[in-house]
Formats: sequence, C-alpha cells, structure tokens
Amino acid sequence: MLKKHPLITFIIFGFILFLISNRLDELIVYHGATVGIYVIAIASLILLTGYSGQVSLGHGALLAIGGYAAVLARIHYNAPVWLTFVVAVLATAVGGALLGMAAARLSGPYLAGTTLALAIGLPSIANQFSVFGGEQGLSFDIGFPPASLGEDFTQYKWYFWISWSAALIAMYWLRYVLHSRYGRSWRAVRSNDVAAELAGIHVGRNKVLAFTISAGLAGLAGALLGMTISLVSPGVFPLLLSFSLATGAVLAGVTTLGGVMIGAVILVAIPEIALAIANRYGGSETIITNLPGLLVSGLLILTVLLVPNGPVEQMHARRAKHAKSGKASHSPVELTVRVGSKTWSTKK
Amino acid sequence: MIKINRQKLITASAVIAVAALTVTTVPAQAFNPRSKQPGLTATTIKLGITLPMTGIASPGYNKIPGAMKAYFDYVNDNGGVNGRKISLVVKDDKYIPATAVARANELILRDKVFALVGTLGTASTKALTSSTQLSRRGIPSLFVNTGWSGFANKKAYPTTFSILPSYQMEAKVMAKYIKDNYAGKKLALIYQDDDFGRDALAGFKTAGLSFDLAIPYASGSQALPATGAGWISKLRTAAPDVTVLFGVSSATTALLGNAFAAGWVGKTQFILGSVGGDATTIAATNRGLVGLLNGAKGLSFAPAPTDSSDEYIELFQTIYAAAQPKETFDNNVVAGMSNAFLAVQAIHAAGKNLTRKRLINAIETQGSTFANPFLTPLGYSRTSHVGATGYWIGTYGPTGALTADGGKYTVFTTDSGNGAVVESTYKRPAMPAKGLPN
Amino acid sequence: MSQFLDMFLIGISAASIYSLMAISMVLVWRSTRVVNFAQAGMALLSAYIGYELVSRTGNFWIALPLAMILGAAFSAFIEFFLMRTLLKNSSQGPIAAIAPIIATLGLLGVIHAVLGFIWGHGDVQLEAPLSKVGYTVGDTTLFIAPMGLFVIGFVIALLFVVTILFQKTNIGLALRASAYAPEIAQLSGVRVSGIRTLGWAIAGAAGAAAGILQTVNGTGAINPDSLEFSLLLVFGFIAAVIGGLESLPGAVLGALILGLVLAFVQIYISGTLVFIVAFLLLLALLILRPQGFLGSKVGRRA
Repeated sequence: MLKKHPLITFIIFGFILFLISNRLDELIVYHGATVGIYVIAIASLILLTGYSGQVSLGHGALLAIGGYAAVLARIHYNAPVWLTFVVAVLATAVGGALLGMAAARLSGPYLAGTTLALAIGLPSIANQFSVFGGEQGLSFDIGFPPASLGEDFTQYKWYFWISWSAALIAMYWLRYVLHSRYGRSWRAVRSNDVAAELAGIHVGRNKVLAFTISAGLAGLAGALLGMTISLVSPGVFPLLLSFSLATGAVLAGVTTLGGVMIGAVILVAIPEIALAIANRYGGSETIITNLPGLLVSGLLILTVLLVPNGPVEQMHARRAKHAKSGKASHSPVELTVRVGSKTWSTKK
Repeated sequence: MIKINRQKLITASAVIAVAALTVTTVPAQAFNPRSKQPGLTATTIKLGITLPMTGIASPGYNKIPGAMKAYFDYVNDNGGVNGRKISLVVKDDKYIPATAVARANELILRDKVFALVGTLGTASTKALTSSTQLSRRGIPSLFVNTGWSGFANKKAYPTTFSILPSYQMEAKVMAKYIKDNYAGKKLALIYQDDDFGRDALAGFKTAGLSFDLAIPYASGSQALPATGAGWISKLRTAAPDVTVLFGVSSATTALLGNAFAAGWVGKTQFILGSVGGDATTIAATNRGLVGLLNGAKGLSFAPAPTDSSDEYIELFQTIYAAAQPKETFDNNVVAGMSNAFLAVQAIHAAGKNLTRKRLINAIETQGSTFANPFLTPLGYSRTSHVGATGYWIGTYGPTGALTADGGKYTVFTTDSGNGAVVESTYKRPAMPAKGLPN
Repeated sequence: MSQFLDMFLIGISAASIYSLMAISMVLVWRSTRVVNFAQAGMALLSAYIGYELVSRTGNFWIALPLAMILGAAFSAFIEFFLMRTLLKNSSQGPIAAIAPIIATLGLLGVIHAVLGFIWGHGDVQLEAPLSKVGYTVGDTTLFIAPMGLFVIGFVIALLFVVTILFQKTNIGLALRASAYAPEIAQLSGVRVSGIRTLGWAIAGAAGAAAGILQTVNGTGAINPDSLEFSLLLVFGFIAAVIGGLESLPGAVLGALILGLVLAFVQIYISGTLVFIVAFLLLLALLILRPQGFLGSKVGRRA
C-alpha cells in the first residue's frame, strides 16, 4: 500500500490521526503533538546519519536556529503562522549549508565533537544579543485556533493538527527525496564513498546537500517545538535535547526512516513508563528522578548492542534471511476470508 | 489485486482494532473552563509545583518543596484551611522550559491540581504559563519564584502572582545604599551577562550609579577553572573599594575561592545580590568559603533565617526541624515556607465556597493585608500582581549568617520603574495565633 | 605587566586540567578509534570513588592511586563487555561510525543515573590535600598554588610515563600497532583485543586522576549534575582535537593553547565570549588545519 500509493497512505494515516485526536484526552493530544515534532527531528537526524554518514550531537542547535527564525519573523514582521515555519526551514537550511560545508571536511568523532561544541556555544550567542531576548527568551504566540473549529477545540489539539500536518508533509516529501537521484547518491556515498566518487558522484557536494536538507527539517521541528511550548529560549534547546534526539534516532534505527515513529513514541513514553514503575514501587523521589534517565540510557546501550540498525531494519534483515533459506513463510500468501455466505479472496 | 501477506494483515488489523477501541471507548473531552473546580473537594485541595529538583540549577532550590510541605502538613494537622487539607504535587523540570511545560500539563490535566504554586525560573514559568493557557483556563499561578518584573503585568498574566521583588528593585536599593555609604569610592561590578544581570544593569542606570570597572561573564562560564581567577586579576589591578556581584551562587563560590587563593582577602567591600548570597548553598559547595563571607554586605526581604527573635522564623524553625530533621534551615526553606504561608492565607481569605476565581479575587482585594513573614509591603491590588517590593541590607557574619545593620531591619522600598527608593514605614501584620489561618 | 603574568599563570593552570581529560580521550582514541563521550562521566564516577576512599582511608595520597586503579579496572571492564560486543555487532554500515559515540553517550546516562541513585543529587565534598593559596613573590600573590603546581607536575609526569610506555616498551609497540593496523598486528602475533583493553585501562586511570584533581583544584564539590564536568568533557575534547587527537604531547599543547586563549579573552576582551571563542577556535582549526597541530596528515577523515 505504502509503496504503491504513498500519497493516499499518508492522507489516510493523517485522517485517522485527526479522527483519533478528537477523542483523546488533552494530555495525550499534547504528547501526540510532541511525538509529531520528534518524528520530524529524528527523521532529520536519520537522514544525516543513516543516509549520508554524518553525525550530529548538536542537533538541538539547529532546532534553535529554526525556533528563533520563526519567532523573530512572527514578532517583527507579524508573519502568518505557516509563513513562520517556511522562514524557519529556509533560515536553518542556510545555516545548515554553511555548517555542512565545514562538516563535509570532518567525519565521525570530529563532527560529533564539533556539533557538540556548537550546541554549547550557540546559547551564549542568544544571551549576547538582546534581539534574542536573553535567557528568558521570546514568546511564540500563534494565537487561538480559528473560531470555525468550534468552542471545544483546544489549543493543544490545534498544535497537534499543525505539528502532524507538518510532520506528514515533511515525511512525504522526504520519502520523495530519498527515492530521487539524490537519495540514491547518498546511499551510494554511504556504502562506499570511493566507489561513489569513481561513479561520478560528488561526495562533498552530496554531504553538504544532505546537511542542508537535514537542517531544514530540524528548523521546522524547532519552530514547532517553540510553538507548542509558546517560547523560544536557550533553555528550550539544551544539550539534553540533542542527546535525546540522537537516542531517538538510534532507537528508531538510523538506516531507515521506517522506524521513526518508534523512536519518537519511545522518547515521549519513557518518562511516563518510568513514572508508572516508580509509583508502583512506592514512588520514592530517588527512583522518580533517576529512573527515566536510566531506562533511556540502558535502552540505548541495549539497542546499539543487540539491534544496532534498529528494530525495523532487523525485522527486514530477518525476513530476508528467511526468504533466502527457502522457506517461503513470508512470501505473499493467498488469502481467503469467509464470513457467512460471503467470500473474499486475494486470488486473482 | 493487492496481495496481502499474513504479517501485514495481522499488523493492520491490530492497528485498526486499537484505533477503533480508542475511538469508541474514550469519551470526548470537552474543554470547558466554566465547569466544576478541579482539585477541590469539601475536605481537600490539591496544589502543584514544578521546579528543578535535579540538574544544574537544582542545588538549594530543591529544598523548597520539602519546606512547603512541612508548613502545609502543619496546617493540615491543625484542621486545614476552612476545613480543607492541602496536598502538594511536586514535579521536577530540571530547569528546562520544555520539560516544565510537560510537567505543568501533567499537573493540570492528569493530577488536576486546583492551582499552581511557586513555580521557579523565568523562562520555565513564562513558557508554562502561555503554553498551558493558565489564564484561559482560569488557573491561579500563585507566587512564582522569579524576579522577572514581567509577571507583575496583570494584563499579560491575569492569573499569575509574583512574590519576589524584581532584580531592578534590588539594583536600585543597592545603588541607594552605595551612594549613601560609599560616595566617591571606586566601584566594581561583576554581573552575569544575560537578562538577569542586565535587569540589574538597568536598575543601576535608573538610579544613576556607574561603575569604574564592570566585568560581565557568560552564564555557565563560572564553572570553568580560569573564570574566577580572571576576575580577581582584574579586580586586583583596578583595586576598587566596593565590589558588587550580581550573579548566581556558583559565581559567588568562584569569586570567594579565587580571592582566597590569590591572597586578596579584605581588600574590597563585597556586596552580594540576593540570588548568589545564600550562605548554605555556598556551604554545600565548599564549607571553607563561608568564613570568607564575613563582613560582606547582602540583601534580603525576609527576616534572616537565623533570627529566632522573629516570630515567623521561630515558628518555621520549629515546624521544619520536626518535618526535616536532617536539613539545614536556610533562605530556601524560609522562601518555601513563606510561599506556603502566603498560599494558605490566600486560600483562607477566599472563603469556604472556594473557586479559582474567588482565590484570585481574594489576593487582588485583600492581598496587601495578608499576614506574611516579609518585611516589605506586598504590592497586590486590583491593578498589580507585584509581591514584595523592597530589601533590607545587612552584613554576613563568620558563620555566613546575614544580620541587619544597626540591629534592626531597615527596609527600603521601590518599584521596577523610575520610582524613588524610600525607607519603608511598613508595619508587618502580626502573625495569627500559632501561624494558623483563622 | 602583572596582569599579563596573571593571564599566563591562569591559562596554564586551566590548561593542566583540560589536558588531563584530553590525554585520556587521546588514549582511548589511539587504542580503539573511539571518542569516549562518557569520559567525563567516568571521571565524575572516579571523583565519587575518590571521595569514598578519602573518607574511608583518611588519606588523599592513598586514595588517589587507588581510585586510579579502580578507574582503570572500570574502564577495562567497559571495553571488555561493552565496546567489544559493539565492534562485533555493528562494524558495518552507517551505524559503525556512530555506534561507539551513541554507546558512550548511553554509558554517560547510565553513570549519571547510578550516581543519582547512590549519592543523591546534592553536593559532596572532596578536600584539597595541598594549599590552594598562591605563592607570594614580593608583595604579590601569584596565581599558582601548591595544589595547582602538583596538578601541572602530575600532567608532565603522566605525559612522560605514557610516552615512555608507548615509545620504548614492547607493550607500547603493540598498542601503537593495534591502533594503526589491527589486522597486520594480529598477524604478527599481537593479541589486539587484549591490547585494546589495556589502552582503555590506561585511559581510565588518567581519567580518574582528571576527575579527582579537577575537583580538588576547583571548588571541591561534586554533584551528579555537575556543570564543571560537562564543560570539562567539551573543553578536553577541543584540546585533544587542537592537538590532533593522535598525539599525547599534542593534547597537552592543545590544552595549553585553549587555556591561554581563553584566559586572554577573559582578561583583555570580555568574559561573555569564552564559549563562542572556544567553538570558533575549534571550527577554525578543523577547517584550516584538519590534522591538528601535531596530528598526522591522514587521520581526520578516517
């Protein structure tokens, strides 16, 4: 279905989400909006790492660029909400292109360390110039949801709709890019950059392009994050956010976008799960404060050790192995469903 | 014809089943601020707080909830407020605004608290106030722990009440003190170069005070090994008579530690802002540095934690010693207990038929007359949500205790704007019997 | 002039702290081609161990070597159980480049949580064994105290010992061989995996010393959420990269450059700029001279 009619799949998925959002309680809708943002941010990181082999530990800094660009456009030019997101994407993409040019010369740990230093250095820039509002930041107010949606339409549902619309559009577009010429050349560079170079692919330019697109997505996520919490400030994009995103990307599996939901949901769900466990065992303060970190980090290590390419890729790999071994257990089967006198069959 | 493989079919049906279940069983949640009062029954009232319990900003502040609970429990044990017992739900936001929003949402939507109380940090409080739409929901946010003057703006934050004097007020009081006592002397200032420090700069400017040497530092850089030494080197060269520090506790530690290491002790008169001047927070980092505070000047608006002659402090010390026997009684504890005390006064004043609206109304109409431990007037009114409005100045002793100069609290009061700094004639209302609402 | 001398001494003192961390990062990088982002966490753990040892034995000079041994053991343990499995399971594809980084980040998180469980989130204190009051010449007190001097001496001694170990001994030869050409080393009879564990152990000992000395030379307080240690990680890494990430003298030189530049910025320009300057220094260096000051030409893109 996804392969044949991606657009229809995305639209149906979106429709189901919006239907569900009408029925969930507000807290879950709020968490759902956050999941949507993480989907974009993690996809951005997966694109960078999984498809072009570059690492970023300072993705929070890129989110920050997007957040600030959006809020400045809103405050100083009174831009409509959708335009602030466009501004965020463009501004961060430009920033990403510049960074990407530097980054293309670096690899692995060097890039990781540089982006790490960026994540620490950027907030002090925000503190330096008063236009960024210092430590207390700038309020990001997109106003109330349109009155036509009804009086019971909550602000968080509005955020949920916006962030998921953005996420679905971004993912659809990203899917398109990855299936294009660029996507193929990224994969070529990733698997063997020397061979790719010989095949006429400009490795450096490809990396910069990947960095630019990744940054654009990160900027979008940053603007959405600023929107849901109504504020853009250095504290909104701490080093912890960068680490969380890297965690989410690994949990999702860096080689494929298929697991991006898994990563995003886990990031949001773990603190909840930890809290539930902690409450079950007496709710001691030590457990409540330390358990979420322990769970996330432990899960991270286990993932890297046991399913380094992520759960989705692992499933694919296992399936491929099965198929190869001759047992056609996963090859398409013909299916007949009979209910009462009616019969549906997948037979031609 | 589409070919379906078994696994995909199973997954798909599972997803559809879950979706169908969710859609049919969970009732639609209506957003209706006019409905009943959450977190409130005839015998209980639930309050919530989110603040840094862990993380870089937590030392010192993480004692506040324990202090608040100690006072609430004391009130509960003596019959509660208007027959209601108070409970406090505490959340840890690590001083990260996004986390603070998530925690505040949990407090409001899951724990269903009646009101927030004492949330800490300007950015966190700002974010959670707008994101969770406190004003649209009509949820009171009592006595936020930040010195940002913006929260006093009733139009922008109609349900939020501040409690601390603003940093501008503090700088203006400090400026008057320096002008009165050190006229013509050489002055130096070390300040955190962000809005916290710059708020103070604005205050000094309003007061017309200029410094011969101003040393800014990036927030966080005080933790680098060279920063404090760099300050001392500059100070030593400039040799100011008075050195003002407007920074956080870790900056105070860096300043004192390096002054000691460079043998530069007793060469200047230190004046510490209230944020970085808590002796027990400094002692928690390094006990040895507390002695170096001796002779420095500090500011406060509550009675000193060591001043047992103050009826509030005496009561608080007794309550806290029983509730948290292992912890030191310090400024953070006084802050937390005062916060709780004021909240109880407000709830009491709102009457038996408590609603969120009545609570806000009670603070606006009677807030300035509430019994409270602070030595400065409270600024609550129909038009203003300002809490304490001034400071007294004292001297640190060898144990780090701040005692008022001249044996009594001389309080100066002012505003965050261009208003003058005047000596206050305010008489604090007497403490109600046993510190209980009645 | 006196301010210039201050700047110089302040820069050197800070550099000695950065270089301890930089040395342990270089050691790990050289033995396994991994940048250990958990290094600061491991150093912090060692500082807590040092605190426990000092309070048990009552003697810093016994506690320091003991903590270094424990640090080495812990580091070897991590290499043996975590990094080896990691290299076996994820040696191919894009994950190979980032798996070690992510795993060490995970380790950092686990250490942080465990510290919180055991010691809570308050400060504990580790007293300095030597005076931190600067030496006095004439009527000025210099920005160098017995404690700081000991740290500088320790760094020089450490550099000396490790250099001898690497250059003059068979173990050192094996260490170098298994880092540069593991397959060839294996063929020549070097037990590469064992040697790698050894590399981590040495780094762990150096890291433990870094954690303890940074603490006693600084405020003396440790806390699971310590800002000092987060900064130490970043600044240690920057120092290591300036030096080329390959070379031990390079790491020390890198730390010296970083320390002096930041002290200069702090005293003569503005304390607001330290983080931005550190980042720009790193970026400029990576772009202008990717192999670092003392690094070999090829390493950077490997």
